[in-house]
Amino acid sequence: MSRRSFLRGATQVAAAGSMIGSSAADEMAASEAAGASEVEALRGASELEISVNGKLRTVEVEPRTTLLQALRTHMEPPLTGTKEVCGMGSCGACTVLIDGQPAYSCLTLAATCAGRPITTVEGFGSPDAMSDVQQAFCDKDGMMCGFCTPGFVVATHAALERAPEADLDELKYQLSGNLCRCGTYPHVFEAAQAVQEDRARGGEGR
Amino acid sequence: MSRSNHRPESSEPSWGKRSDLDVLNRDIPRVDGPVKATGQAVYTHDVRLPNMLWARLLIHPVPRAEIESIGLEAASEMPGVVHIEALKEPGDAVRYMGDDAVLAVVAAETPDQAADALRAIEVKAKRLAPVVTPEQALEEGAPVVSRRRNADSNVGRANERGDEALADAALAGAVAVVERSFEIPVQHHVCLETHGHVIQPAPDDEPVTVYASTQSVGGTPRGLARTLGRDASRIRVLTPHMGGGFGSKFGPGLEGALAARIANATGRPVHLMLTRSDEFAIAGNRSGSRQTLKVGAGSDGRLVGLKLQADKLGGVSGGSLPGPPYIYTVEDEAAVSSKIRSVHTATDGSRAMRAPGHPQASFAMEAAMDELAYLLGMDLVEMRIRNLESEVHHRQLRRVAEEIGWGEHPHRDRPGSAENGRAVGIGFGVSVWGPGGRSSRCDVTVRPDGSVVSATATQDLGTGARTYVAAIVAEELGLTVGMVEARIGDSDLPPSVTSGGSVTTGSSAPAIKDAAHKARESLEVLLEDVLEAPVGSYVWKDGQVSVRGDASRSLPWIAVCALLREPLVAQGEFREFLHEGRIHGAQAAKVEVDTLTGRVKVLKMVTCQDQGLPLNRLALRSQINGGMIQALSYGLLEQRVFDEQDGFLLSDNLDLYKIAGAQEIPEMVALIDDEDERPSVCGMAEAPVIPGHSAIAGAIHNACGARLTRMPFTADNVLETLYGKI
Ligand code: FES
Ligand code: FES
Repeated sequence: MSRRSFLRGATQVAAAGSMIGSSAADEMAASEAAGASEVEALRGASELEISVNGKLRTVEVEPRTTLLQALRTHMEPPLTGTKEVCGMGSCGACTVLIDGQPAYSCLTLAATCAGRPITTVEGFGSPDAMSDVQQAFCDKDGMMCGFCTPGFVVATHAALERAPEADLDELKYQLSGNLCRCGTYPHVFEAAQAVQEDRARGGEGR
Repeated sequence: MSRSNHRPESSEPSWGKRSDLDVLNRDIPRVDGPVKATGQAVYTHDVRLPNMLWARLLIHPVPRAEIESIGLEAASEMPGVVHIEALKEPGDAVRYMGDDAVLAVVAAETPDQAADALRAIEVKAKRLAPVVTPEQALEEGAPVVSRRRNADSNVGRANERGDEALADAALAGAVAVVERSFEIPVQHHVCLETHGHVIQPAPDDEPVTVYASTQSVGGTPRGLARTLGRDASRIRVLTPHMGGGFGSKFGPGLEGALAARIANATGRPVHLMLTRSDEFAIAGNRSGSRQTLKVGAGSDGRLVGLKLQADKLGGVSGGSLPGPPYIYTVEDEAAVSSKIRSVHTATDGSRAMRAPGHPQASFAMEAAMDELAYLLGMDLVEMRIRNLESEVHHRQLRRVAEEIGWGEHPHRDRPGSAENGRAVGIGFGVSVWGPGGRSSRCDVTVRPDGSVVSATATQDLGTGARTYVAAIVAEELGLTVGMVEARIGDSDLPPSVTSGGSVTTGSSAPAIKDAAHKARESLEVLLEDVLEAPVGSYVWKDGQVSVRGDASRSLPWIAVCALLREPLVAQGEFREFLHEGRIHGAQAAKVEVDTLTGRVKVLKMVTCQDQGLPLNRLALRSQINGGMIQALSYGLLEQRVFDEQDGFLLSDNLDLYKIAGAQEIPEMVALIDDEDERPSVCGMAEAPVIPGHSAIAGAIHNACGARLTRMPFTADNVLETLYGKI
């Protein structure tokens, strides 16, 4: 089998699977039927609407495009707060919320995100109006180089949602999907605990 | 025009009495915290320019091969491909895994297109014997992979020190002698932001802009000048934020040169960042080593003789290892001998990594201290203190011992037993570093509207440099940190040093202080007419200036600045007396070993660290904790694995190359040694990474009697050491 036919086959498998959003699948089918050029079919690009941080965004994706790629390189303007470090689900730098649940955006096909609200690190706050978790990361120095920080911020929001009263061991477990090379972990734990205390005292929690 | 010309040669800058400080020596949240925590900080990875190309490298999967052909035709016809070139010709050799294994580079309109094109390149090559282990390198008739000119073997020239016969004689007279061989693996830096650049070409009369993930904003223009075909002064490098370096990002490297070449060839901006697997293959590492160390002590515990034979394993580079005795002293220097050589393999060359060579030396030396103490029935802390010259180490060791509960620990002069299933132990280690400082400049600008900018071409690797660039000025002028804007990460700013060897703080902080002091004196000249007191008799505090001893004569900051008719620019430079050259640290680790499964759990780690005046206690604790965590990760988890038969790098991702995660993190205590009252500053980031894995190995030994001589301390390593090979 030539390389091209292999790629094409792979695209069709993806299109036939349940993982793909209907708009992309329809578009694929339509372009095949219309006898689109081989290259077109191969690329299988189609428009997808996704809701990111409360805004509907239109983005051109292929069946293989991950949510991470859609955010960082396909969207205009791109959202680069979400980081790519491993691209294979080992590090958590790409963590976002999908339907309120934490997910590795590098392992999520963009096409599966139609109709599912996505929250990225940018969606939690801005430098002038940070979320309580973001503020606590600053206060407790839960960052050094900061490259892992967006992933940790999202993961911490999710952890405190899932297990608001988590003790330290449970917090470590909840945050075990994220890696930091600079070694900020103890400061990240302190930040999470500060948020817990603040929320328990009736702090806002955003 | 700068008003700083008015400056009288009155007083020298000084860090001041610690009790007088309002900003420094406190917890200062980092000034770029909010942009980092909200995802707004733009790293090189995140730079997006109009019309930008995405470039990728093709790296040969094995270290040694003879290239038969590199077929670019199919790839060059792939959609979106704009530039494609092979870096090897038929008949060329791939000599090692590293930059020499880069076969081709592709630039395309989108990242996916670049990746697709890469897969379409057809490489035909004959694989050659891999030479990835020292055993393979030392085999009779092994292919020579050394890069030394006229090399006829893979062994570099041995560095021999001392007289072996004298060392042997001294060891023969020792009361206690230990001899052990140690194997220390190669460690990767694993910067979470990989190496790379975004290069924006420009017409001849405009500067080329280079976004670089670098530890050397100032050195990168020179590194790219030749490839870009223009003078370094017309290359502007920007590094507003960077995702870790740890010693691996000093120059543009092959990836920078290729990005520059493509930008020149296409006239378009080029984004070339290594992928994670590229990073493991070609972005450097901490050299491994194999050491055989023999040390003897007298009945009083003092070391009397030492012999070391070591191979540095730095791939095609030399590797690093400081000579013995590491930190500890042998009374008679003539009783120390060493033979250290490099053994080259066809693997990526080692680079500087946080305290190059020191963690390797620490591992063997601290093991010897433990074992000698046990042979002599001596307390582990006492044994160390007897062989350390510096009082600073003595007090630091006592402090970490107290913090970790050494006084209550049941076996301080002998190891515990493996019989109980779960054994708890404590271990120790010490560190030193000479961070130095050198020429660096800073401009402080005060504007009539009260705004202040502190600017220097340093970079913040995550150390908190940006924060003290503002904080030092705030302290001098009696302002809050938020009132001073820090500008760094731009080669157009006043030059500073490359960040390596913990020199950044010791170099740039004095220059910032000097500039702030000059600005203050210039303002005091203006105040002479208004508040009628001579220069040098003002107190700058809480956003006010007042005459010392007469608080009624004062002006708010904004009114002082209103006296300026134009911005005041004060130029500061490195001042030797404001920096310190030597630091010390001590660490303790407490572990639990499950002697049935071999599992090691680190329960607690403690460091006590000096550094002169702490500029920012919060960032300092982060650095200390980060050092301990990297050492823990090195000791427990990290292992580069090559397939010895074919030479594939198997551990080229974060699933197989493990680094410490949240669940490995023990209770951590970072103690800032406030008994260090030196009125000067210095960097300290190297020191806390040096002894942590040694302290953990010592704690495992103390817990259950297993002296691990190999890293990492995996369960099978523990079981094999306890019960022998199964
Ligand atoms: S980039 Fe997604 S888990 Fe690492
Ligand atoms: S802060 Fe640098 S990787 Fe986490």
